[in-house]
Amino acid sequence: MHALTLAWHTFLAFFPPDLSPSYLRYVWLPVLQTIGMASAGMLVALCLGIPLAAYVGTRAPGWQSVVGVLSALRAIPDLTLAILAVVIVGLGPAAGITALAVFYTAMVGKVFAELFLAAPQAPLESLRSTGAPRLAVAIFGLIPLTLADLLTFGSYAFECAMRASVIVGAVGAGGIGTELVGAVSGLDYPRATTLIVILALLVTFVDTLGWFMRKNPRLALVLFPAGLATMLLNPPQVFVLRHALVTFAAMFPPLLDARALAALPVLLWQTLEIAVGGTILALLLAIPLALCAARNVVHAVVVAAVRRVLDISRAVPEIVWGLIFVVTAGIGPLAGALALGIHSAGVLGKLFAEAFENVAAAPVRALEATGAKRLAIVAFGIVPLAIGPLAVHTMFRLEWNVRAATVVGMIGAGGIGEALYNAQQHMHYQSMTAYVVATWLLVVLADVAGERVRRRLGWNNETT
Amino acid sequence: MLSIVDLTVRYPTQTAPALESVCLRVEGGERVAVVGPSGGGKTTLFRAVNGSVTVQSGYVALEGEQVGRARGAQLRALRRRIAVIAQMHDLVDRLTVYQNVMAGALGRWSSLHALRFLVSPSKAELGEARSALERVGIPEKLRSRTSDLSGGQRQRVAIARALVQRPSVLLADEPVASLDPVRSEQILALLCGLARERGLALLCSLHQPDLAVRYFDRVVGLRHGRVVFDRPVAQVAPEQLVFAS
Repeated sequence: MHALTLAWHTFLAFFPPDLSPSYLRYVWLPVLQTIGMASAGMLVALCLGIPLAAYVGTRAPGWQSVVGVLSALRAIPDLTLAILAVVIVGLGPAAGITALAVFYTAMVGKVFAELFLAAPQAPLESLRSTGAPRLAVAIFGLIPLTLADLLTFGSYAFECAMRASVIVGAVGAGGIGTELVGAVSGLDYPRATTLIVILALLVTFVDTLGWFMRKNPRLALVLFPAGLATMLLNPPQVFVLRHALVTFAAMFPPLLDARALAALPVLLWQTLEIAVGGTILALLLAIPLALCAARNVVHAVVVAAVRRVLDISRAVPEIVWGLIFVVTAGIGPLAGALALGIHSAGVLGKLFAEAFENVAAAPVRALEATGAKRLAIVAFGIVPLAIGPLAVHTMFRLEWNVRAATVVGMIGAGGIGEALYNAQQHMHYQSMTAYVVATWLLVVLADVAGERVRRRLGWNNETT
Repeated sequence: MLSIVDLTVRYPTQTAPALESVCLRVEGGERVAVVGPSGGGKTTLFRAVNGSVTVQSGYVALEGEQVGRARGAQLRALRRRIAVIAQMHDLVDRLTVYQNVMAGALGRWSSLHALRFLVSPSKAELGEARSALERVGIPEKLRSRTSDLSGGQRQRVAIARALVQRPSVLLADEPVASLDPVRSEQILALLCGLARERGLALLCSLHQPDLAVRYFDRVVGLRHGRVVFDRPVAQVAPEQLVFAS
C-alpha cells in the first residue's frame, strides 16, 4: 500500500510538463540532433549496404559469408551497439550515428541482398552473356529490376532509424534520448514529461513522413543534406584513431570472472522473465482493448477513443516506458516487464483489432441470427475465429520482446542489459564484450526458436 | 404463423427493387420450397424474415409481432424464434461440435451463462447437444473439432444448432447447393421430417425443381423480386418449374 502511494506521488510529480519558453528553445537542438543522427546513420547505411547487397546479389565469391556476417550483426540490439559506440567514439551524436550506421548497414544490406537474390534471373543472364563485369550487372540489371522494392523498404528503414535514433540516445549517444535520461536521473520530471510529449509527436511525425515516403520515395533524398550536415557538425569527440584502437583492443578477449560467470544464467533468466512477463501482460491488456477497437464489435466512437490510447502506448518506445516505470515502480525486472507490456499492448492491440475485424462474416452472421447477445457473439464467434492470427502476432512479439528485454535492462530494469551497462560504466571492457556476446546469443536463439515453432505450426506464410 | 405482407426491399446501390410487393403466409408444420433463378430475391426474402435487412414498405410478422419494427432486445427475442440454416459455411471452425450446436441457445442465455458454458459445459447442456446431434444422425461427433467435419456433416451440425434454438420458423437458404444428390435427399428428408414433428414453418430455397416437388407441400416461384406463382405441389405444372433450375 505504501509503495503504491509512493508510486502515485512520483507519478504526479511528472505533471505539469515544463513548457517554459527557455526550455522549449533549448530542446530544439536535441530534437534536430535526433533527426540528424537518423539521417546520417541511414546515409552511411545506404552507402555501405547497397554495395554489400550487390556483392551478394551478383553471387560474387564468398557471398554466403557476407550474408552470414550481416545476419549476425543484425541480431545485436541497437542499444547494445550504441553502448559499444559510446565506448569507442565517446559520448554524443557521433556515437549515435555510428551505432545506427552499423545496425542499418546490416539491415539494409541483408534485406536488399534478399531482394537482389530474388530478382528475375533471365535479364541478368543476358547481361552477363554480353561479358559485362559484375558492377555493370548490378547497375544496369539488379538495381533497375528491384527499384520499386528498394525504395519502399528504404523509406521504411528510415522510419525505423528515426525511432531508433531516439532510443540510442538513452546511453549517452546524443539527441533527445540523452536529454530524457538526464532529466529522469536528475529527478527533473516535468522536463521529462515535456520530452516524452515531444518524442511522441516526433514518432507520429515520422509515421506520417514514412507514409508519404512510401508514396513518393524521392522524398528520401533529404537524407543527403541532412545526414552530411549532421556528420560535419558532430565529428567524433574522442575519435583519435589510436584511442579507438586501444579501447577496442581492451575489449578482447571477452572475459568474465568466476563470480560474474556464475551469475550469468540468473541474468539471462531474468531477461527472459522480463520478456515473457511483458508479453503476457501485453496479451491480457491487448485482447479487451482490441475488442473495444474493432469496428464490428463496438460503436465507432468507442473505437476511435480506444485506438488513440493504443497509438499513444505504441508511440512511446519501450525504453521510455522503462524510464517512467523505473522511477514509479522502482528499479528491477518488474519495471522492465511493465515497460514491455505497455508498449506491446499498443502494438498487439492494433494488430488484434485488425484480426477481429477481418474474421469471416458468415459464421458471425449465423450467430447473430440466433438472437445471441453481443458478448456471446464475441466469445463464440469473433474471438475463436481470430485465434490463428492472434497466436502468430503474439509469437512474433515474444521474439521481439526478448531483444527488447536485453535493452530495457540498461536503464535499470535488471537482467543482462543492466550488467552490460554497469560493465561499460565501470570500464570493465572485457566483461562488457562478454555480455554483448551473451546478449547476441540469446537474441539469435530466440529468433531460431521462434522460426522453428512457426514452421512446425505452418505459420510462416502469415506475416505481421 | 409467419406472414409476409406487401414486402418491398430496395438496396441503395441498385435501381430495381430486390423484392417487390411480396405476400406470403406459412403455417406451423407447413413446408414451403422457394424456387427461382439466382438473383431472383430468395436470399433477400430470407434476410428480411430474419430482420437483417431494411424494409422499404410492407412487413414481416411472426405470430402478429412485426420483425422490421423490433430493435435491440426485442429483435433478439424474435430472431430466437426464427432459425436460419445457411449453406454450411457458417460454423465456427475453431470451436468443437457441441459448442457450435449449443450456440443455438445463445439467444436465451445470459452473457455470463454463455461464457461459463465455453469454460465448463454442464451435463444437461452436453445432453441437449447430444440429443440434437442424435436427431440429425451424427451423435458420435459430439466432441470433434468442427474443422474436421465433411460438408454433409457440417450441414447436419447447422441443423442441430437450429434445433437447439427451439424455433417456430426454420429458414434454410439453399441447404443442399453444395452437396451430392444422395446427401441432398438425406438433408431435405431430415428438414421436412423435423418441420412436421415439431410443427415448424419451414421455408427452404432450392435450385432443383424435382426435389421441391418430392419433399414439400407448397412451391413458391420468385423472379425479379416478385412472386410469380404460389401453389400446392399437386397443382404445379412441370413447365412452371423449368426456369428454376
